[in-house]
Amino acid sequence: MSDTKLVNFELDGIPIAAPDTLTIYDAARLAHEYAVNEEDRRRLKEDPIDIPILCHKEDSRDELKSVGVCRVCCVMEGSPRLPYQVPKRYIASCCRKVEPDMKILTRSPDVDESRRTLVELLLAEHPVPCKRHEQFHDCELELLGERFGLLETTEDPTKKAGQDGKYKTEWVKPQVYTDRVFSKGTDFTNPSIHIDHSACVLCDRCVRACSDVAGEMVIGRMGKGKNTAITFDLDKPMGQSNCVSCGWCMISCPTGAITYAGSGIQAALPGAKLAAEDMKRHRLFKEISIEFLRRAEGGVVVRHFRKGEIICRQGDFGSTAFYIDSGKVDIFLETEFGHVRTRQKGGFFNRVASLLISREEKPRKEENTRAYIPIDAPIDLAYEKPFAQIGEGELFGEAACINLQPRSATVRAAEDTIVLEMLRNVVDILRRQKPFRMEMDRKYRERALATHLRTSDIFRDIPDEAVDFLRPQVSLLSFRPGETIVRQDQRADDPDNGGLYLVRMGHVKVTETYADGNSITLSYLSRGNVFGEIGLLSSEAVRTANCAALDHVEVVRISKPVFDELVVQYPALKERLGTLAAKRLADNRDHAAMQKRVSLQQYVDAGLYQAQSLLILDLEKCTRCDECVKACAQAHNGITRLLREGTKYDKYLVTTSCRSCRDPLCMVGCPVGSIRRKNDLEIIIDDHCVGCGRCAEQCPYGNISMHPIKRDLSKEELDKGAGNGFKATVCDLCNSDQCLDEIDDPACVYACPHDAAHRVDGQTFFDQTLFGNGKK
Amino acid sequence: MTKAAELVPSLQHIQHENGWISREDMIDLSRRLDVPLYHVYGVVTFYPHFRTRPPPKHVIHVCDDLNCRLKHGGNLVKQAEDLARGRSDVEVKPCSCLGQCDRAPAAMIDDWPYAPDSPQALLSLIRDCISEIPVPKTPTIGMKGPWKSDPYPSPEQHYSALKALVTGEAEQQEDRNSEAMKKVLESGLRGMGGAAFPVGRKWEGVLNPRAQAAPARYVVCNGDESEVGTFKDREILRNLPHLVIEGMAIAGAIANATRGYLYVRHEYVEQIDILNAAIARAYQIGALGKDIFGSGKSFDLTLFVSPGGYIQGEGSALMEAIEGKRGQPRNGTEDFGPVARATVRGLFGMPTILNNVESFVYVPAILMNGAQWFKELGVAGNPGLKWVGIGGDVARPQVLEVPHGMTFKEALDLCGGMRDGKKLKAIMPSGPSFGFLPPEYLDARMEFPNKENFGMLAKAGASIGSAAVVFLNEDRDLVDAALSCTRFYRNESCGKCVPCRVGSQKMVDIIEGVLEGTARNDDVEQVERLSRTLYLTSICGLGQVVPKPFESVVKYWGDDPRIARARERTVRLTVNGSGSLSR
Repeated sequence: MSDTKLVNFELDGIPIAAPDTLTIYDAARLAHEYAVNEEDRRRLKEDPIDIPILCHKEDSRDELKSVGVCRVCCVMEGSPRLPYQVPKRYIASCCRKVEPDMKILTRSPDVDESRRTLVELLLAEHPVPCKRHEQFHDCELELLGERFGLLETTEDPTKKAGQDGKYKTEWVKPQVYTDRVFSKGTDFTNPSIHIDHSACVLCDRCVRACSDVAGEMVIGRMGKGKNTAITFDLDKPMGQSNCVSCGWCMISCPTGAITYAGSGIQAALPGAKLAAEDMKRHRLFKEISIEFLRRAEGGVVVRHFRKGEIICRQGDFGSTAFYIDSGKVDIFLETEFGHVRTRQKGGFFNRVASLLISREEKPRKEENTRAYIPIDAPIDLAYEKPFAQIGEGELFGEAACINLQPRSATVRAAEDTIVLEMLRNVVDILRRQKPFRMEMDRKYRERALATHLRTSDIFRDIPDEAVDFLRPQVSLLSFRPGETIVRQDQRADDPDNGGLYLVRMGHVKVTETYADGNSITLSYLSRGNVFGEIGLLSSEAVRTANCAALDHVEVVRISKPVFDELVVQYPALKERLGTLAAKRLADNRDHAAMQKRVSLQQYVDAGLYQAQSLLILDLEKCTRCDECVKACAQAHNGITRLLREGTKYDKYLVTTSCRSCRDPLCMVGCPVGSIRRKNDLEIIIDDHCVGCGRCAEQCPYGNISMHPIKRDLSKEELDKGAGNGFKATVCDLCNSDQCLDEIDDPACVYACPHDAAHRVDGQTFFDQTLFGNGKK
Repeated sequence: MTKAAELVPSLQHIQHENGWISREDMIDLSRRLDVPLYHVYGVVTFYPHFRTRPPPKHVIHVCDDLNCRLKHGGNLVKQAEDLARGRSDVEVKPCSCLGQCDRAPAAMIDDWPYAPDSPQALLSLIRDCISEIPVPKTPTIGMKGPWKSDPYPSPEQHYSALKALVTGEAEQQEDRNSEAMKKVLESGLRGMGGAAFPVGRKWEGVLNPRAQAAPARYVVCNGDESEVGTFKDREILRNLPHLVIEGMAIAGAIANATRGYLYVRHEYVEQIDILNAAIARAYQIGALGKDIFGSGKSFDLTLFVSPGGYIQGEGSALMEAIEGKRGQPRNGTEDFGPVARATVRGLFGMPTILNNVESFVYVPAILMNGAQWFKELGVAGNPGLKWVGIGGDVARPQVLEVPHGMTFKEALDLCGGMRDGKKLKAIMPSGPSFGFLPPEYLDARMEFPNKENFGMLAKAGASIGSAAVVFLNEDRDLVDAALSCTRFYRNESCGKCVPCRVGSQKMVDIIEGVLEGTARNDDVEQVERLSRTLYLTSICGLGQVVPKPFESVVKYWGDDPRIARARERTVRLTVNGSGSLSR
């Protein structure tokens, strides 16, 4: 993850300039992108360099670290133009990173001979065909055998897949090495996963998958030399070991050594189920182990939509993602833009009412000015015109699927469209496929980076040239739930994780740890938010807070050197970031000061002290008649925002619009990033809220309400399922700065028959009402 | 250092106490050291020394490798097994070379090495043991000095070179270090384990700012010699342990390393005792510890007893073992570039100086007498001395301390020539790793290949390597000798990478086929291709040399009737149930 540099080297005599983070294997696979000459790129696209692999498995997260044990990816270092003289030992191309001036031969008769010999050696100890090859023609070792002309596979038309085996595999010529296929034992103790040690090539993929990917730590190697085998715990039968049957070993295994036993529960989505073998033929899944696809059968369905049909709707909860197989879709927001405000009206209990006001009409304090709205698709929507179109080969709904967020926008077929709807496990494995991942990242860089940068306030008017400058230089990274992105006190110019971050997917939890070991959650950041600027701009260049992934997080990282170059060209950016940094820093310092000084109760007090407006109930006068609550409900279309509960001071009960939680859970999971914390810790909901209700659900104090919005819908729209929708709103005390001027008192205060309800500001309440009384 | 690093010593302790390691022990260790169960099990089953079942009353491991086979003809294991027939409380097993080749055949009887110089004598010891007649744990017979490698006439002077290096004006410490470094560099001392990498250059690799900025540096001494026929370090460790310790401490002082590990094979029981005593003495006189000779410098030395296996002699596998892992070699510089070097990422990922016993032993004398003195000890452009272990069919097999670059003929003469006046048939210059050479190579010098001096041995693609020289007489069956060596490699392969794990078995299959008369021309032809592939693609040195013994037999003794017969056949035969050959 360190800063990448382009290095110049040669592959088969072709000059290449590729990032130094790539392995030779990756650089060869992507040579058509990194070749220096246009002519070479074109030629390599048609005739790509195809280095065989066996123990290596591509993994976009690089959790399956290269181990270089099978050696079939070996390449030769030397000049292709000179005859090769001294036998220099071969390089495992899956391990070695590209270096300047390397001269690598990926194809030569000598290299081929070694690769073929290795495959031949393995095949001599491998059942030909193994169970997986016989049924699905998908054993990676035997496929290599076919590639090197050692084996030949034909379809046996009399048999059906999944049963006795559909394919026949035979040696083309008699085997060179003595056949030593003897049973090394099987293990059928796990009901869903079968082990056949005879087919095992000891590639260590399952070992790595079990410990490094799944974190289960069950599978390892036992024994030595020719007697080496995989073991579960202390050589337990798999079914009796600590194995949780997560299946990572099975889907990582290249051969028929670990296979799906065919039982277990299969997920089923409504729609035309795509069979494992059909999936395997689809371009999207061709790199994925058949054993996984078998287990995931039912997790992918083909859905046909006619032009104008809705595919998914904003605010819905869905655990699937969609891949556009053919056609085009429109993405748009159905919501009306605005925030809920209260306005004085005639009539007794109806003298206040709520309505929607837009940010242009009446901006609130700290109103946002973002130009783009981040959504759960490889594109963002312009605030002014929230509409976009994407087409074939695109994936959307990823965050809803992976992080279980509500849908962020409505998607409608723009023409007759076929989509593949996929469950979370399928999406997860797809995201791990390096080629898929790289393709998605490439598209992101090309198309989405610009609008994505502009969703953040800081980059909102970043010029195209600056985006062009950033495009190849930013790193796209992903993190698992709980993983630390940057740690407090780390260097901000660290080559591995220094720089500025922009959230692309998921939520980042920002916490600050104090000297006494306590920590406070400063914020939750979602798509379009920036972090890391404080460390980057301060002279100490040290991180002031911890940023960790709350769910599956993807970020864009702009490294320090790239950032420095950028701000030289666009000094306005630095200024804006500086303002943001100063503000965040000051806020953090206030929090810290509060933290150090006071207990939790006092902390809440301090929050209240700063509040612009508090509703207090004099409990001595209050008869608990609940008229205030009823009035509130009346004023807000039947939904009360007031609960006669809260913190008590002396004889007063204080209700607030927001408790300024240490851990503002309401901010987690907003699909469009419309809920934020203001500088005084109060929550503000931006106008483009899509009304999904996630924040209201998350607030432990019930202080966020879903306000129904009546919309003028045509019959056509209603037929298509469009609803009236909601807007989230926090209790604004009817008369905070969010309110219009015409109002005197909030409905609750006005309604109180006993003069028990009062509206005061924090300072007045604490200094005069409370302590003033006390002194008396 | 990690908790897992306690794994091997903990397992050794448990086995020492209980005789074996139970599942409960493993579960307990897994919890205590915070390592997964499979890790513990993988380590326990990797090292031959560990037992997962209660041991029998008597354990007899008979060496079945080349030098012992030459003596006992390959049937001693069977004879011993016959003696123990019906005794379920006696375990008789063949084992790999025990490093007692000068008094072959050898066996470990109840964890003590015996090498009485004759098969009958060894068999009678085994018989005694099985019949419950106590077998005395007599010390094995060693060599006698004085040694040119030892600059100290009396024990009182031990560690003078170290003392001179670390004591004196503190401001001049840098100068003294660089002067010592210069001497080591100029002496031309090379890695004596066999790889022959210049020692000075290796040490310099730990002196650069990056390595010096690392949180720790280590000095590791490789005393795990286990290659077939290698036993020179055994005598160095027995006779000159103080020089090895001093050499390591000097390396530590120069490189700012405060911790060292001396790795020794567990079969060298006497050497382990001798080393423990020598280390204790060094601590006592202040040559080791927190404040070496009052200089404020510290260097702690741990004796690490190997849990077993030839592969542990591979530097990175050795470090893995110390770290408490399966002793599989790490991928080298081919796969990971220069960062794979021990001097960059060695023990516990820290810069590490890793040298052979013999490389460290010369260091005190070089510092005392100067680089020029050392250089002049050698002949024909080779610097210094060479300890070589001469075994096989010579009159007096032994370890020699001779000028580096001496010819094989001179060495043979020092050992009294061929035993019983037989004619020489083949020389194995460095264990089996460069195969066998015909008698013409008697005139070759025992030296490492180098650019200035590309001698006869280098031209044959060989080197003195680990200095395990074996002379074979005219009666010897080289195909059988090659089979024995190849089986050794197969048995000792760690199993990590495909070429070695599978290829070594295929080589054994091929040679067995030739001996059984089932092999065909294709099989013999395969040897060259297999050899190329194994050399080019194996991760470590073991895999690279597996086919060498038989390849050299095919090259120089291709007229052997069994090889010739195989070459004539186009179809491989198989041995059927009744023992006869069929297609």
